[in-house]
Amino acid sequence: MPPELLPGTLDMLILKAVSLGPLHGYGVLLRIQQISKDLLQIEQGSLYPALYRLEHQGLIQSSWGVSENNRRAKFYRLTRAGVRRLAKETAEWERLSAAVGHVLRALPEEI
Amino acid sequence: MFFRLGDFLRSFFGRRRFEREMSSELRFHMEAYTEDLVRSGVPRGEAERRARLEFGGVERVREECRQSRGLRWSDELARNVRFALRTLRRSPVFAVTAIVTLALCIGANTAIYSVVDTVLLRPLPYPEPDRLGSLVVQVRTAGGGGMQNAHTGATWEGIRDGVTSIDTVVHNNWRQGVSLVSGDQVEYVSQQRVGAGFFRVLGVSLLRGREFTAQEDVPGGAAVTVLSYPLWKRLFGEETEAIGESILLRGEPFTVVGVAPPGFQSTVPADVWTPLRPSRTGEGSGTNYEITVRLPQETSWPEAQAQIRAVGAGLLQDDKPDGVEAYFAILPLQESLTRGIRDTLLLLWGAVGAVLLIGCVNIAGLLLARVGERQHEIATRMALGGGRGAVLRQLLTEAIVLGLLGGVAGVVLGYAGLRALEILGAGQFGMWQPLAIDGRVLGVTLLTALSAAVLFGLAPAIQACRLDVRSGLTESASRSVAGGRRRWMRRAMVAGEVALVMVLLVNAGALIRSYARLQGLDPGFDSTNVMTAQVPLQDARYKTTSSVARLFNESLDRIRELPGVESAAVGLSLPFQFGFNLPFERPGVREEGRTPITNMAYVTPDYFRALRIPLVQGRLLRETDTADATKVVLVNEAFVEWYMDGDEPVGAFLKISGLERQVVGVVGDVQQMNAGAQGPLLRELPSVYMPVAQTSEGFMPLVHTWFQPSWIVRTTGPQQGLIGHIQNSVAAVDPQLPFAGFRTMDEVRGGVLAGQRFRVVLLGTLAGLALVLAAVGLYGLIANTVVERTREMGIRLALGATGSQAVRSVALPGLGLGLAGVFVGGAGAWMSASVIASLVWGVSMDDPWIFGAVAVCLMLIVSLASFLPALRVARLNPAETLRKE
Repeated sequence: MPPELLPGTLDMLILKAVSLGPLHGYGVLLRIQQISKDLLQIEQGSLYPALYRLEHQGLIQSSWGVSENNRRAKFYRLTRAGVRRLAKETAEWERLSAAVGHVLRALPEEI
Repeated sequence: MFFRLGDFLRSFFGRRRFEREMSSELRFHMEAYTEDLVRSGVPRGEAERRARLEFGGVERVREECRQSRGLRWSDELARNVRFALRTLRRSPVFAVTAIVTLALCIGANTAIYSVVDTVLLRPLPYPEPDRLGSLVVQVRTAGGGGMQNAHTGATWEGIRDGVTSIDTVVHNNWRQGVSLVSGDQVEYVSQQRVGAGFFRVLGVSLLRGREFTAQEDVPGGAAVTVLSYPLWKRLFGEETEAIGESILLRGEPFTVVGVAPPGFQSTVPADVWTPLRPSRTGEGSGTNYEITVRLPQETSWPEAQAQIRAVGAGLLQDDKPDGVEAYFAILPLQESLTRGIRDTLLLLWGAVGAVLLIGCVNIAGLLLARVGERQHEIATRMALGGGRGAVLRQLLTEAIVLGLLGGVAGVVLGYAGLRALEILGAGQFGMWQPLAIDGRVLGVTLLTALSAAVLFGLAPAIQACRLDVRSGLTESASRSVAGGRRRWMRRAMVAGEVALVMVLLVNAGALIRSYARLQGLDPGFDSTNVMTAQVPLQDARYKTTSSVARLFNESLDRIRELPGVESAAVGLSLPFQFGFNLPFERPGVREEGRTPITNMAYVTPDYFRALRIPLVQGRLLRETDTADATKVVLVNEAFVEWYMDGDEPVGAFLKISGLERQVVGVVGDVQQMNAGAQGPLLRELPSVYMPVAQTSEGFMPLVHTWFQPSWIVRTTGPQQGLIGHIQNSVAAVDPQLPFAGFRTMDEVRGGVLAGQRFRVVLLGTLAGLALVLAAVGLYGLIANTVVERTREMGIRLALGATGSQAVRSVALPGLGLGLAGVFVGGAGAWMSASVIASLVWGVSMDDPWIFGAVAVCLMLIVSLASFLPALRVARLNPAETLRKE
């Protein structure tokens, strides 16, 4: 059973996935599964509202293109604002996970 | 509410494209996943099923996508509007009641507001209107005061010569109908007489030519005229210069020197302007001039006031009675021009506002009742996850949809109402005709409708939000008992309605009583079977007394021969009309502190027989009172009372227009129009009657400038074709005389009381409308209580309560509310008394009769509205009621 996503992390994952190159919605899903080595499962339906929200916020932008199997598909790419947001979220995530990890590893004599 | 407006609008309008693209994007996802599953060995059918399953609810995803794009609001709005329309269609009685109520209220508001806006709120149509003023004499006495805005020729000369830094002009503020001949065109037009500089002071430059010079604006000056733009176009066409052309006004040639610009509105509606030619004598000896001023930029209002006051001080009489203070002042021109109608309009504005409020309260009551009926529906929606906010928004949308529907219907009604106002108030609106509904009025109407909607939509919406879901679902509407919170709110609203109606009815009652008094005054003569015909005699051929007397005698001789004519006469003025007033002296008697002024009319001897005015003392006039005989006059009883100081009137001498004349008789009083600002509209005024043949030379052309003598014909009964016969008889003597109009004496009175009638009809209608609305509101409240408490009443009846006890327990709260409303409203009416006081006569607001009568009427209606629906309780069958669920 893959772990549940923490709330708010889906946006970050999408931004990261898209930052590696333009992707259509299904591609975003595959990319996240691939780079998380199938550890993270995303509920397929929740992906699209998140994509629309990010686009509405101006963090990604979309354009219609042709998919690998020659179908018309909508591709998303990161905007400048998206790049900044991703950097910020990554830094915050690292700080937070480091802190949480630190706490969890703490030994009695350190206190 | 986090969405960007641009995005929102784009998605709102690019809606179909958005939906299409979203569909194809989601479809692509599913198909790509299916393909991947097939490639990994899953059978196609199974793959499609899994793809659908793992994707989740497509509709839910789509909805969430729309929300992410900020579409939710527009979607919800559209859905709410659709839902509201569907709900209204489902309950047509409610919808029609609410929309008709609103349409009536908003229609009344639109009509009245468009008049208020045009007359009171908009600046006058002249450049820098706030620099324009009107010269007035303010009079202050211990008991109050007054204002006089008409002045004598002497005052004008004093102001003209004394005031240096303010631009002043003198003019008449009335118009006269005159015949105009230009080439072969004949028209009946309105003429206003204005002094040199009239257009300059108003700040209007003429389209062609020039206005009058000071040299032309003197007695005997050149006969010149300025034409209005429409008249100029009609007479000459736009191609012709027209300047220097000659036209005939009432038979005299005038040279056109100017044309006013298109759209120019004078202080009274007029087609031609001629020089006023002010003087100290004749018309100038009385207060017949208005003085309009323009303050230059460098002069402030206080400075101007001070200057006018200083110059004016020398022009006022020194021998004022003690305690009376009088001084000259400048009144803003708009205030001065709207003086006659301002109070009426404000009163009506307040009244339509109150009616709108009552209408809103009614609709709010209906909506509240519906929330009661719909609590099941609302509770269900909430139970299914509809947020309170969503329910609130939906109920408000319903109210706004109602408001807009009512508003549109109201504008249509308002348009009709405005036309009716114009007909009813003919002559009341002076320079502001024609009245029209324009964009500004429409905007205000829209705003009114929307705020009304929010007003009547909010209370029920809030009520709905307080709804407890569980009890809302389990409780049926007919199971509740007395004392719910919802009813408390509705009760307060109904009591408020009754209070507002009380205020309106008391005011309307005062107006009606005042009008009834004026109508019911003993006229002092017999008005039945009397026909009158006014004929303007400004014609150059009737400048001498003898020519006028000959016209009268010869035409009357012919009229007397007509079938059914009992007597016929001519008089300068009629009862109910303004009299011509004139100063006089009693030789050897010094009047203290006042210049004695009396109404004066020339009459033919039969005047008193034709009108049946009784002789009180002495004798009537005779045919033998000719130009060569002793100069005699009659006076009326009011004259004796005002001026004779107990002296014997018959045989006394009066000096009138330079000649001493002997009083030979006293006749009864008739009601006449009161020219003064104070006092009742109609009253007995001191009057002098003089034989036509004995008027001084020069008097005829002077008096005929403003007055049109009336032929008075008394018949033995209604006569077919009388008007035609009279016309023929006069035409046989002088075929060129135009008739200004035939009226019975009742019609003459109607014309004088038109302003009063205007107010009575309007305020009466509005108060009636308010009364009906409030009665409907109260009826609705009680009827609703009956429905809600059916079960409770059933139990009470089953437990032994009598039918009349049950009815009482339902209806009595209505009476209580009515009483509370009457008391609060009575206090309100008391406070509003000062507004109405200036519009009524002979009626005091301390009058307990009006309050009492209105309160009794209102309580009667309240009882009806309470008991009628409550009677249904008595017909309840307890067994059936309890079984029914």
